[in-house]
Amino acid sequence: MHNIWTLVQREYIERVRSKSFVIFTLLMPAFMAAIMLIPAKLEQMNSGGESQIVIVANNAQLASAVGHELGNQPADTSDDLDARLKPTVYSIQVVTDTSDAERERLVQQVSDGKITGFLWLTDDALADHKVVYSTKEAADFGQSRQLRNAVNTAVTRQHLLQQGMSSNDIDALLKPLTLKTIRIEKGHEGTSATTVFLTAFAMVMLLYTVVLIYGIAVMRSVIEEKSTRILEVLLSSVTSKELLAGKILGVGAVGLTQILVWVVFAFVFSVPGLVAAKSFLGEIHVPVNAVVAFAIFFLLGYLLYSTMYAAIGSMVNTDQEAQQMQWPAMIPLILGVILMNPIIQHPNSPLAFWLSMVPFFAPILMLLRILIEQPPIWQIVLCIGLILATLYGLLGLSSRIYRVGILMYGKRPTLPELRRWLRYAG
Amino acid sequence: MGSAPNLKLETTNSKASTASNAVELHGIRKSFDHFIAVDRLSISIREGSVYGLLGPNGAGKTSTIRMMIGITLPDEGEVRLFGENFHRGQLDRIGYMPEERGLYKRMKVIDHLVFLGRLHNLTEPEARKRALDWCERLQIADWTQKKVEELSKGMQQKVQFIATLLHDPDLVIMDEPFSGLDPANAVMLKDVLIELKRAGKTILFSTHRMDQVERLCDAICLIDHGRPILEGDLKKIKASYGKNHVQMEYAGDPHLEGSELIESINNYGNYVEVRLKPGADAQQLLRMVSDRCRISRFELLEPSLEEIFIDQVGKHA
Repeated sequence: MHNIWTLVQREYIERVRSKSFVIFTLLMPAFMAAIMLIPAKLEQMNSGGESQIVIVANNAQLASAVGHELGNQPADTSDDLDARLKPTVYSIQVVTDTSDAERERLVQQVSDGKITGFLWLTDDALADHKVVYSTKEAADFGQSRQLRNAVNTAVTRQHLLQQGMSSNDIDALLKPLTLKTIRIEKGHEGTSATTVFLTAFAMVMLLYTVVLIYGIAVMRSVIEEKSTRILEVLLSSVTSKELLAGKILGVGAVGLTQILVWVVFAFVFSVPGLVAAKSFLGEIHVPVNAVVAFAIFFLLGYLLYSTMYAAIGSMVNTDQEAQQMQWPAMIPLILGVILMNPIIQHPNSPLAFWLSMVPFFAPILMLLRILIEQPPIWQIVLCIGLILATLYGLLGLSSRIYRVGILMYGKRPTLPELRRWLRYAG
Repeated sequence: MGSAPNLKLETTNSKASTASNAVELHGIRKSFDHFIAVDRLSISIREGSVYGLLGPNGAGKTSTIRMMIGITLPDEGEVRLFGENFHRGQLDRIGYMPEERGLYKRMKVIDHLVFLGRLHNLTEPEARKRALDWCERLQIADWTQKKVEELSKGMQQKVQFIATLLHDPDLVIMDEPFSGLDPANAVMLKDVLIELKRAGKTILFSTHRMDQVERLCDAICLIDHGRPILEGDLKKIKASYGKNHVQMEYAGDPHLEGSELIESINNYGNYVEVRLKPGADAQQLLRMVSDRCRISRFELLEPSLEEIFIDQVGKHA
């Protein structure tokens, strides 16, 4: 134990002190913040402003009704992301000349940038139920939806007026509904479903990323010890098992430290960021049991994969060789991420159950299930038990490969050679 | 240098029969698949002696050492250290410098030495104090705060010696200690080793460069293909061969080839080494050569280890 502790300490201190750790730890939150905030900011910058729209209609009354609707977009009561954007100010111009010459003139004006676009709202178009809005900014989905709403409302209103309804009745009838999905947690109505998915997805991807990064770190560190030939010096005072344990625990502690730093960052620095993000993502809601589940499955996943990575590192001599050899650890991890999709859709289906019981997928998939919809406790316990059993077997296997591999230089072993390694006495 | 507790332990624990041997290997054997690295090797290394484990590359020297200190386990046979069956607790009394030297390149010298010292059960302050003393002594005290990779090769070698000797081991094992050393460091290492020997430490060398350790060793074991072919006290081994070698320097041509006195000739350009036939008289050779050319040196020698080795390998082949 004394030796393992010394090894863990060295591994931890040397890594945490290194420049690359400090840089990566600082850059990652900045990067995440950028990914979350920049697209939103960009959209915010694009929205708002003024749009000059020409409405071409045979019926001038209808045209000005549409213009009126555009100016009176419904107040923000929905969950819609872009409904919270700054509203666009529309300046409307009504034209009753529906000739082709007029259309050509308007096209020219749009391409000259004198107007933003024109809406072709002739009686023919209404009869066909096909209204065309011509503009240079085709990608502005927000605006085209506002236009559609406005036209629909104006046309409906006109119809209803013609049917003899009073203006007040029509207003009451056309008042838009909002729909919000709420997730039921332990019999209580809780957070919105979108938030749950986003949170779950973010946490599972964080687990995947950190397990991968630190699994590879273990592998590279084994290769480094092999290539600097320090191993034999170490083996004159510690066993290969102690060495393996020290490495995995030391690197794992660095990984935990990094996550911890990021969590602290998230709380301290992103309070303004969170407020900004909140307006787009809704409330970010991370319950305590999710944090506990994350910690447990991160540790299990890291131990499982870093054990494999350590064995792979001991088999090869260079990083290039390792690239070719790391698929046995890489594929199950990536497969786990790919299999997230069916589980998100049906978190309690038999398929989800069986997939989340496969120990190599479990750290990702069981965590995902827990975050989305808590499965029965016995399933979680069974899953952890299966992972631990696999881990036990894998540790035995890996430490045998590691023990032989670290003293072998030259070409990497073939499969039959690897089988013989497992049988060596020591 | 703090060796007193260990020595006390030694005298109280050791059994009379084996007390004088630091290392005993009894018929150890190690095979990898069909290749036999070490084949029923038995050696004993007397405490306080300098022992040479000699043989060509691939003879099984490194495999033997690895079994001696528990890096690998023998398939058969027994390893006894300091009079007890091998156990890992004994590793704190052993300093091992492998043939392939290595240090963590990005660690500070002092941190690295303290780390390795702690793995040999030194406390941190003790390891630090000893490391600084050693660095002072080997004149790298100014470099202790530098990273290993910033040091020259020669300085890295010094760090490696210090790492091997930091915990004041009773048994020092060095695999090919002089390979890759610059001349200054080779002299320094030799001086340190002689000092250790005076302090009663046991030293085991393993090398294929027999000329380099010949003068340092008290006893040797020659191994080839994993098997011992000659073991024992170096002086006795050499004496048993007798002084049947002659080293000569001369001007002119002595026409040595074909003489009935001579078994073999080894011409080094500046001088020749002649091995006499059994029973041949060196004086007769001297007379014969002095008739033919001017002799500036004529010396009777014991055979070199290398020649003994070649002779023995020939016998066992």
